[in-house]
Amino acid sequence: MSEKEKVTPADFLKRHVYDIAAYAGLIVTFILFLIFSGSRLSYNMATVLQAASAYSIIALGAVFVYSMGYMDVSVGQQVGVYAILMIMITNAMGGTAFGVVIGFLVILALALLCGAFNGAVAVWLKLPSIVTSLFLMFFFTGAQLLLMESTGTNSISIQATIKPADRNMYNVMLVLAIIVVAIIVTYFFKFSKLGKYTRGIGANEVTTAQCGVNTTKWKVIAYMAFGACVAVGSFIMLTRTGSAGKGTGSGYAMDIMICLILGGMPLSGGMKSKVSSALVGTFTYVLLTNDLTTMGVDLNLINFVKAVIFIAIIMVTCRKRDTILPR
Amino acid sequence: MAKATQHELVIEVKNMCKNFGPTKALRNVDVSFYRGEIRGLVGENGSGKSTITSIISGMQKATSGEVFYKGAAWNPGSMVEAQKAGISMVLQEANTIPNCTVAENIFAGRFDEFSVFGIVNMKKLNKAAQEILDSFGISHIKAEDSINRYGFEDRKLIEIVRCVSDDTEVFVVDETTTALSMEGRQLLYKLIHKLKDNDKSVIFISHDMDEILEQCTDLTVLRDGEIIGHLDRSEMDKPNSEQVIRYMMVGREIGDAYYREDYDSSHGDKVALELKNVSLGEIKNFSLKLHEGEIIGFGGLSGCGMHEIGRIAFGLEKPESGSVERNGEKIKGCFEAIQSGIGYVSKNRDTEALILEGSIQDNIVLPSESELSHTTFISPKKEKQMSDKEIASFRIKCGDGRQWVNTLSGGNKQKVSFAKWTAKGSDVIIMDCPTRGVDIGVKQFMYGLIADMKKQGKSIILISEEMAELIGMADKIIIMKDFAVTKEFMRSKELSETDMIEYMI
Ligand SMILES: Nc1ncnc2c1ncn2[C@@H]1O[C@H](COP(=O)(O)OP(=O)(O)OP(=O)(O)O)[C@@H](O)[C@H]1O
Ligand SMILES: [Mg+2]
Repeated sequence: MSEKEKVTPADFLKRHVYDIAAYAGLIVTFILFLIFSGSRLSYNMATVLQAASAYSIIALGAVFVYSMGYMDVSVGQQVGVYAILMIMITNAMGGTAFGVVIGFLVILALALLCGAFNGAVAVWLKLPSIVTSLFLMFFFTGAQLLLMESTGTNSISIQATIKPADRNMYNVMLVLAIIVVAIIVTYFFKFSKLGKYTRGIGANEVTTAQCGVNTTKWKVIAYMAFGACVAVGSFIMLTRTGSAGKGTGSGYAMDIMICLILGGMPLSGGMKSKVSSALVGTFTYVLLTNDLTTMGVDLNLINFVKAVIFIAIIMVTCRKRDTILPR
Repeated sequence: MAKATQHELVIEVKNMCKNFGPTKALRNVDVSFYRGEIRGLVGENGSGKSTITSIISGMQKATSGEVFYKGAAWNPGSMVEAQKAGISMVLQEANTIPNCTVAENIFAGRFDEFSVFGIVNMKKLNKAAQEILDSFGISHIKAEDSINRYGFEDRKLIEIVRCVSDDTEVFVVDETTTALSMEGRQLLYKLIHKLKDNDKSVIFISHDMDEILEQCTDLTVLRDGEIIGHLDRSEMDKPNSEQVIRYMMVGREIGDAYYREDYDSSHGDKVALELKNVSLGEIKNFSLKLHEGEIIGFGGLSGCGMHEIGRIAFGLEKPESGSVERNGEKIKGCFEAIQSGIGYVSKNRDTEALILEGSIQDNIVLPSESELSHTTFISPKKEKQMSDKEIASFRIKCGDGRQWVNTLSGGNKQKVSFAKWTAKGSDVIIMDCPTRGVDIGVKQFMYGLIADMKKQGKSIILISEEMAELIGMADKIIIMKDFAVTKEFMRSKELSETDMIEYMI
């Protein structure tokens, strides 16, 4: 054995460079946030929390999918359709609490079904997962339009109270929701077969299969877990807006991807995937957007800035650092 | 280092160190290589052999120290640059480029020689490649074929062909022979001797002591990144040289017990795994009964079909007809195979057996997660215990179980690949070249494990390029040639390699 030499600070930095960068990004955006908010701090905090809640829950679920090295582009349209459906069902049932529960169960079932479809079809038809999720995206785009056409209006509102009247109560509820989902996801990702297998599939699918893992089954389960989070996330989003329309959810898929990448999730998945990427990334992203807005940056410019940051991160993380001998 | 011979110095390494974070892979190494010699480089797994040679051949840079090549300072930027300057290396693991033709692989990085205004003349390229293949006596490999069509051994030969040309001055062979069948080895031996006779320098890394003593003219021993000593031919010829070298490598005595000592080839009556009239491709109607407590060995030349038998038995390849059965149930895929207690050590270490971008622990526990999981919960503590136990018993050279597998030396990777199945405790293990690239100490340990498994009533299929290993371990040896069985030998004291070779060629 080579004797255990001390790990120098330089080695530590080198090994954790991406984690450090991700957390540094969060801290910087947070400091800017504190500076720019000034007297409106508590109000702005609540805004950020409300904006981040749906994103972070969906991003937490997406960790299972991204850790396999897959991605999903249909989530935005799914969120839109689920929100609309939820409103329609609740309203049809007279806006009762029972109606809300039924509405949620329906979208949960749909989301699980879509997850299963995403996972299973990709395996059976041997298609890259992006293709099935593109298909779902087009499907849901159509569904969203048709549903809204059928209402004859541009936007529909839920006729039930799904949000505590007290602002502080509501914020506490959101924080709790994020914490509960984060704990559940962390448990399954770190301490159960699901996370171990999805990371294995991302790192080397052949090896994982040769270790006795039924990769088809676990891909489907991973996508279904994601689906469950999408359903919850859609509901949380609905509590905030109370209404939905043709544009609801658009851009979510890209935003989720950017959140995860900002949080240090490798696009190729694998053993380096972490749950914390979802939370760190989402809050960095939302804070960043908030900072830019309070700084008075034009909306179009904000998107441009985001694109630049996105490209920069991809370029840095995709560069091979040190080549390792094939031996 | 006084050298008696008048051979000319070609490479001189001075005070070289190489650190990987806290790991010191090389410590102040001084070593010289001369023309007209075949220098053996031996040492335990992880002693730094690949590290030294890969620095010389431009794959990575030393942390400190100097290299001189033909008297001038030598700092190659890449392998291609080194190869153009005359230094080439056959790497330990497969290093061919998939999805390309054989010819493209042979001339990778040298397309400019065949192109006019950027357009490559494929016909000329293929022709030149085939000429090279023919000149090496491996005409069965066709230049215009896709490399994916060829198995591990043939790819290794293609790599060798790629490395050697008229301008080669220094040729490094890193632990290649265990991947080659007998004919491939002969070809390589002939090649290195030809190079030596032409006053070139060969650096030959191997764990096979017989091979080292037969082929090399000089020997350098490494231990823990330090040069322990050099032996010249006269010292290598001494009767006790093997013990001396072993002692230098390991730093302690290791016993002579190596293979199984008993000649008792009895086994249980129950059939543990059965192949019934299996046909796939060129394999026709192959049948096999593996009993509890039985070790069946498979031997043959490259392309004889023995590796395919292993893959079929594990459910990786679906037979066109016939079936694989265990306990009366059909094995339809590797998932069922593992469920029913079968394990498989793949020969394709980097692509199939290991998650390179994962930790040692991730790899060792992956097949056992089902057993470790209690109502969805997998205890990290139990995982760590399981992997630490294997790391200790195989003496895997690493910082701890969190180290990534792609930073391990070749032999240590092989240990991880083997340890996955000992950790799981599979009842039937199909081993395809299980001791590839591991040092003698570890081999001894693995053979001990295999013998113990037999005693516990476990069954083993041992597919190996090394005949000594088959003779030493198997109850029954099946020799294959051209996808068919040519002979079965039962375990006996009298059995020799020459008996077996007769049925291989
Ligand atoms: N990128 C890396 N990061 C950390 N450690 C490394 C890295 N590359 C090599 N090492 C370590 O350096 C040591 C020397 O490795 P090397 O590959 O030279 O051994 P070797 O003598 O070729 O062994 P083998 O006989 O198993 O091939 C090993 O302990 C290995 O774990
Ligand atoms: Mg090596």
